[in-house]
Amino acid sequence: MRFPFRLIFQNLFKHPVRTLLTLGSVFIALFLLCTLSSLLTALTAGVQNAKSDRIIVQSSVSLFVYLPESYMPKVKNLPGVQEICSWNWFGGYYQSEENFFAQFGTQPEEFFRCYPEIRMREGTKEAFIGDRSSCIIGRKLVDSYGFKVGDQIPIISAIFWRGDSQPWSFKVAGIYESTSPNVDEGTLFFHFDYLRESLVSGAATGPEGAGVLVVQTREGVEPVGVMREIDEMFANGPQRTQSGSESEFQAQFVSMLGNVPFFLGSIGFGVLFAILLAVVNTMLMAAREQGKDVGILKALGFQRSTIFTIFLGQSMLLAGIGGGLGILISKSLETPFAEAIATRFPGYAVTTETLVLGVVTTLAIGVIAGIAPAFRMSNTKVVDALRSEA
Amino acid sequence: MALVPLSYNVRSLFVRWSATLLTVLGIGATVAVVAGVLALQAGFARLFSESGRDDLVVFLRPGANNEGDSSFTRERAQILIKSRPEIATDASSAPLASMECYAAVRRNRVGGGETNVPIRGIEQRSLDLNAGHVSLLEGRWFAPGNDEVTVGRNISEKFQDCKVGDVVVFNTTPFKVVGVFDSAGPFASEVWGDLDRILEALERPGANRVIARLKPGVDLAEFRTALEKDQQTPAKVLTEREYLTSQTKALSFMLIGLGVALGLIMGIAAIMTATNTMLAALAARTHEIGVLLSIGFRPFSVFLSFLFEATVLGLLGGLAGCVMVLPINGIETSTTNFQTFTDVSFGFRVTPDLLVISVLFSLVLGVCGGAWPAFRAAMMKPTEALRRR
Repeated sequence: MRFPFRLIFQNLFKHPVRTLLTLGSVFIALFLLCTLSSLLTALTAGVQNAKSDRIIVQSSVSLFVYLPESYMPKVKNLPGVQEICSWNWFGGYYQSEENFFAQFGTQPEEFFRCYPEIRMREGTKEAFIGDRSSCIIGRKLVDSYGFKVGDQIPIISAIFWRGDSQPWSFKVAGIYESTSPNVDEGTLFFHFDYLRESLVSGAATGPEGAGVLVVQTREGVEPVGVMREIDEMFANGPQRTQSGSESEFQAQFVSMLGNVPFFLGSIGFGVLFAILLAVVNTMLMAAREQGKDVGILKALGFQRSTIFTIFLGQSMLLAGIGGGLGILISKSLETPFAEAIATRFPGYAVTTETLVLGVVTTLAIGVIAGIAPAFRMSNTKVVDALRSEA
Repeated sequence: MALVPLSYNVRSLFVRWSATLLTVLGIGATVAVVAGVLALQAGFARLFSESGRDDLVVFLRPGANNEGDSSFTRERAQILIKSRPEIATDASSAPLASMECYAAVRRNRVGGGETNVPIRGIEQRSLDLNAGHVSLLEGRWFAPGNDEVTVGRNISEKFQDCKVGDVVVFNTTPFKVVGVFDSAGPFASEVWGDLDRILEALERPGANRVIARLKPGVDLAEFRTALEKDQQTPAKVLTEREYLTSQTKALSFMLIGLGVALGLIMGIAAIMTATNTMLAALAARTHEIGVLLSIGFRPFSVFLSFLFEATVLGLLGGLAGCVMVLPINGIETSTTNFQTFTDVSFGFRVTPDLLVISVLFSLVLGVCGGAWPAFRAAMMKPTEALRRR
C-alpha cells in the first residue's frame, strides 16, 4: 500500500476556509497550553535552579520576623561556614506602585563572595563596595526602566519610612547579570549599612535586624550538618531559626501558591476540551461529506486500511499543523514574553517538558478526533457509502 | 420585508444535532472557563470589599500600605486613641478603639505544605468593635493575659494543630487553642490572641494598627487630612472597607486580567468553531437557500435567518457553560494574597451578574461566528444555489 498522502492533503483542504478555522483553533489551544505551562514553570522557577551549597537562614516563626544582627557573627564563626551576608527586603517601588521590583539591603563584599555567579556587565564591584549610598541593579531593570550607571533611583519603601517623608535615593554603581538563573536579574541591591545608619540615628523608622541570612559553606562540608548546627544554636531563642537549602527556601513560595497550579491546570484542561470538540466536529463533518468519495475509492478496490489512513491522516495533519504552529509560536515568543513579566514573574521559560507536553497533546487531539470517523468510514459498505449524500 | 420563519433555523439545528451538540459544548467550555476565573474573582472580592465596614476606621503608619508594613509604638497608639475627639466613646467614656498587632507566621497545611497564616493580637475592645461581625462556632474566646488563641474557621479546618484543645507554638511559646470563630470576611482565615501575649511571643516591640469607631457625623475627609498633618501622631486613616479593598487590588486585577485574556483568546477559537459549524450547515443547505431566495425572501432576510441560527447556537453554548460552571459555586480554595503575603481561603462565587455576563459573552460569540456564513448565504445566487444538491 502506498501512503495516500495526496488524498489526505486534498481532502483536508477541500474546504480551505473551514480547515483554516479549525487549524486556528488548534493553534490557539496549543499556544495557550504551552503558555500556561510556562507560566507554571515561572512560578516554580527558583526551585529547580537553586544552588545546593548555599544555606538560607530565616526566622522559624515568619518570613516577616527579622533576625537579630548578632546572629551574623555567631554563624560566621561556625567551622563549616565560609561566608555570610544578609538580605533585607526593602519593599519599595519606583515612582508609582505599579513600578514594583525587588530591592534588598546587603553587605556588598560578602554578598559578592557568596554569589560568584553574579558578574558586572557595567561598572565594577569595587565602585559599589566603595560608595555607601550606591546600588547595583539587574540588567532587566535597565530594559524595563532605562536606568544607567550614575543615575539616582528614587525608591519609596512601604516598610522603611523616612522622617522627612522623602523617597530614598540610590546611585547606580553598576549593572549585574548572572551566569545561572537562580539569581534574579531584576533586583536592586544596596548597602544594608546605609539603611541601618538611618534607623539608628532616627532619621528613618522601620524594623531593625537582618532579614534572612545567606550562608556559603566551605567546600567539602555537608550543608545539612551546618543547617542543624545553626538551628540548634538558636533553638532557645530569642528568635528560632529555620535553615534550609536555597531550593527549600524557594519552595516555600511555591507552597504558598496553594491551589494556583491546580487552577492553571484546570484552565488548560478546559481549553483543550473546547478545542478537542472543535476538531472532532470538523472531522465528523469531513467524514459525512466524503462519504461518496469513500464509496468510489472502495469500489475502485482501495483497501480498508487506506481509507482508515486517509481519515486518521487528515485528523493528524490538522492537529499537527495547528498544534505544531502553536508550539512553535509560543517558543518563539518566549523571550519577549519573559521580558514583559520579568520583574514580577522571573523565570518564564518554555522548557523541554512543556514542548513534549505540547507534542503529546497535539498527537492525542489528532488521534481522538480521527479515530471514530476512520473506523466508521473504513467499515462502511460500498453501496451505503455511494448512496450517502454530501 | 418578510422574515424567514425562526422555526426553520431551530429545526435545522436539531437535524444536524451532532454538529450542533459539539459546537454548543465547545462554546460552553469556553464560557465556563472564563466564568470560572471570574467566579474566583467574585468570591475573593466579596470576601474583602463587601465584608468591610464603613463605620470602622483603620489607622496605619503614614506610607504603609498594609498592616504588616505599618507599626505603632504603644505610646503613640495610646496618644492617638486618647487624644482624638473624633473617636466614639462607650458609656463610661472610654474610647472605642483598639490596638492590634499582625504578623504572618509559618504553618503547615493539614495535607502538608507550608504557608503563611495571619496571626492577630488584639485587645478585648476589638471583640466589642467586631461584635456581630465575628461569631464563636466552638469553645470560647481566649482569656486576656493567657497564652491562648481562638482560630478562624478556615484555619481550624486547613491547618495542622488548630483544633480546639491543640497546642500551637509561636516562636518558643506554646499557645492553647480554646475556640473557633467564623466571619464573613478574611478574619475567618486568621488566628486571634491576646495582644500582649502575642507581642511577647513574637518578640515584637509594638502594635501594627489601631482600629476605632468614629462618632457619628465626623467628616472622614477632614479627619484624614488632620491626621496626616498631625505633628505628634501622623497616621493614615482608611475605612475598613477601603482598607480591605486596597488589599485585594493586585490579585483581583490579575484574575480579571486572566479572565479577559482567556476570554479573548478562547473566544476567538470559539468563534472559529461556530463559523465552521455554520459554514458546514450552509454547504449542506445550499439548495434550501436557493429555494428561500427564489420564493421571494430577500437576501437580508436570509442573512438575518442564519445570523439568528448562529445566535441560538451561541445562546445554547452559553447556557451549557452556565450549567458547567454552576457546580463550582461555593467550592473553597486558598492561595496567598501577595499584598499581605498570607494565605487566604475563599470560595468560587457564581453570581447572577456573572451568569448574565456569560450568556451575553456567548451571544457575542454566536453573532461573530455567524456573521460571515450568514453573509455568504445572503450573497448566493438563487439559480446556482438551486442547482447544487
